[in-house]
Amino acid sequence: MKEKDIYVEFSPQEIIYYAEKEDSSYGPVSSGAQLTANHLDDFIEKKRKLASDLRQQVINNEISPIYYYAVWLEMGEKDLATRAGISLRKLRKYYQPKYFIKMKVEKLKLFADVFDIPVANLFQNILIGNNAQEQISLKQERTKNEFYHITKIDLKK
Amino acid sequence: MSINIDFEHKMHAHCETGTLVGLLRHKGFNLTEPMAFGIANGIFFGYFESKNFPFPTFIVRTRPGEVRTKLAKSLGIKIKDFKFKDPKKGMDKLDELLASGQAVGAQVDFFYMDYFPEWMKVHNNVHFINIIGKEGDKYIVSDSYHREKALLDAHSLQKARWAGGHMSPKGFLYYIDKVDSSVDLEKPIKKGIKKACRNMLNLPIPFIGIKGIYKFADKINNWPNLVRDTEHLSHEIMKINMFLEDQGTGGAGFRYMYATFLKQASEIIDDANLNKMSERMMLIGDDWRSISYFAAKIGKKRDLGTDKIKELSDLIRKQGDVEKIFFADLKKLY
Repeated sequence: MKEKDIYVEFSPQEIIYYAEKEDSSYGPVSSGAQLTANHLDDFIEKKRKLASDLRQQVINNEISPIYYYAVWLEMGEKDLATRAGISLRKLRKYYQPKYFIKMKVEKLKLFADVFDIPVANLFQNILIGNNAQEQISLKQERTKNEFYHITKIDLKK
Repeated sequence: MSINIDFEHKMHAHCETGTLVGLLRHKGFNLTEPMAFGIANGIFFGYFESKNFPFPTFIVRTRPGEVRTKLAKSLGIKIKDFKFKDPKKGMDKLDELLASGQAVGAQVDFFYMDYFPEWMKVHNNVHFINIIGKEGDKYIVSDSYHREKALLDAHSLQKARWAGGHMSPKGFLYYIDKVDSSVDLEKPIKKGIKKACRNMLNLPIPFIGIKGIYKFADKINNWPNLVRDTEHLSHEIMKINMFLEDQGTGGAGFRYMYATFLKQASEIIDDANLNKMSERMMLIGDDWRSISYFAAKIGKKRDLGTDKIKELSDLIRKQGDVEKIFFADLKKLY
């Protein structure tokens, strides 16, 4: 691969490739990430559709929010079970709404930490409408109370 | 607490090699990233189906952590490393090392690197960064994948260092204690090449090395039966491109980096044969890149019928054939 054939303009994600330079040496070349530059919109759209499908399944009581996040964040079930400190058998139970509703808050917090979300987000989905996304910013901030977050909705500057 | 170690931040192709050569450079040893990768026989292939992963996957380098340990052994680099069960002890040790002026490498879960965009977030316990200072409750990070030094708050760093799960970091830290920058590289280069050939050709495990490439070629034909729907299949097929090109490989699944190692090695030990091999490996990399483009194209178009998956499978199998011949020829050199 020649240096001149590699470069793509994409500042959100720059990476280093190795390529043949003009002087025939091989060395590092900085470029925008090619796949991301060309396909990020498709990736985001797929994630959005997946979130929407999973959300509907939660609403229909077909899956639990634990399963929602496990699939959305693409986590292997053994990896997730280990991170949450539980058995695979127990994790598969928690994927089901009838067992999810019996979970204790401390256990929910373990999962919330793995998913890096407030515990409250296991019981809600906060959506900003398409038309408002340019204007609205949403931040969920930790407090000293690890079970309590502040959700701040504001106009973007 | 405010500490800012005078550390030269640079982007690198890969986090483990980038972290390592960054720390070596800081100690006055200018080893290139490809040379570190090649001496430590980092080039590899493996195909995995495991409950630790959400979907079948493949790897294109050796086990994370092995580049560091193998390079250290090959070049006589003295590394001090630590693991901690207790996060408080682990964070205190980090602060102590920073306060003593020591730049430190750390293993972390990539998911908690908050300085990257949201769409990049993925749980990956084998990301490596250098920590080079602290300002208040934020750490100064030199991350190979970030253009500039970054700030990461202590809470996120702690979560990243003690994330559980597969290949958990367990608070792992390391620093370079001693390095001899005048070390002769010829023997380590040849040893690294021999080991790379052995890994690719001779390991008796059916999903590793060249066998791993063939396994991938076979198994991908079954991927349509493993997915939820077409969107899911599109996503997994396009991830082939991501794993080969955009997730810290230097392009073409580390094959471009390995070609660069062979080229640099040919100059160091004055062996024209290695130069020829470097050119062959660069072409092998180009073919992997063609596979990446093909996967991205059919994935984006949702053109994922049996014929296209088979075409992709055949392209991958052909790479197995080509790499088998390549590594067999490379093995003959030493």
